[in-house]
Amino acid sequence: MSLHAKLIITAVSLANGLFVLEMLRKRRLTESYSLLWFLVIAAILCATWMERFLLSVTKFFGAVVPVSALTLLSLVFVLIMLIFFSMKISRLEWRIKELAQQVALRDAGEPAGDDR
Amino acid sequence: MEGVRDTRAPRPRTPGAIVIPLYNEERNVARVVREIRGAGIDWDILAVDDGSTDATREVLRDLPVTPISHPINLGYGAAVQTGLRHAVSRGYETVVLMDGDGQHDPAQVAVLLSALDAGADIAIGSRFLGDGAGYRIPLLRRAGIGFFSALAALLGGTRIRDVTSGFQAMRKPVADFLAEEYPVDFPDAEVIIALGLKKFRIAEVATRFRIREHGTSMYANPARAFYYPFKSVLASFIVLLRLIREKK
Repeated sequence: MSLHAKLIITAVSLANGLFVLEMLRKRRLTESYSLLWFLVIAAILCATWMERFLLSVTKFFGAVVPVSALTLLSLVFVLIMLIFFSMKISRLEWRIKELAQQVALRDAGEPAGDDR
Repeated sequence: MEGVRDTRAPRPRTPGAIVIPLYNEERNVARVVREIRGAGIDWDILAVDDGSTDATREVLRDLPVTPISHPINLGYGAAVQTGLRHAVSRGYETVVLMDGDGQHDPAQVAVLLSALDAGADIAIGSRFLGDGAGYRIPLLRRAGIGFFSALAALLGGTRIRDVTSGFQAMRKPVADFLAEEYPVDFPDAEVIIALGLKKFRIAEVATRFRIREHGTSMYANPARAFYYPFKSVLASFIVLLRLIREKK
């Protein structure tokens, strides 16, 4: 990978890190999720600057250039994150439904229930 | 949500309850309640307002019903489930489900209850049997219902022609089961499949349905009409997988 590409990836990663920090400061992101993103940024930086590691990954995937391997890894990560967030949203939807039903039943004169 | 059930709850005033899920039915609900009383049914009416944006909630205050109001719109299935949970916690022996749009004729409740008396655990009012066969349904939707009927028969072992009917009467064990396991958005073949696999006795009886006078059907939304068939197929197989796993 050329130095030019490495610098661009590094700049984008650091900008992403600063964005995550800003979201954390504004309380739009919780620490647990920001930690996940910092780990990802660290992994991208390591893969970018550790030539041997990236070359072996490139070889493993049968990619022609290291940037392709990096893109593929990023895509896999994004897919995993999407599934993860879909699960989170489904869980939240279920919790909201349970909560709303409990509120409705309580208002109708029933005692409080559980909050699985 | 077992914890919601109140073991200290007083005995219910009547042996059964009528659960009516409602969403934006301000123009229909009073007539439905009036008709229920007019049909000589003095059972408690549990009216579940699913976060209506019209005056349904206000209308309910002036009616002889137990109003239960979702703070937000959750979906038809969730409204039915809330009603069932309330009915179960109050200890009603029989629960009748009726839509709040006036399509279900309260005079036909007796037909459903006769099926329970004949030994069924749940009786489903059908538009496709007897006189109800005259009820007009668009061809595409009818084909869809036919497909899900076949799917329910294949996976659940029970042939029910009108799998989407919301006009039902059930015994307490079925209400108990459905209070826990009910689709949030719209119940379809998956409920029939689950009931069949749980070995509940399901009866389908001919009942008269009417055309709604006010408001629109949920199927009027093309996006929903497209989404539900896919969701129902998936949900049907998931129900099957879950119950198979439970048995193991």
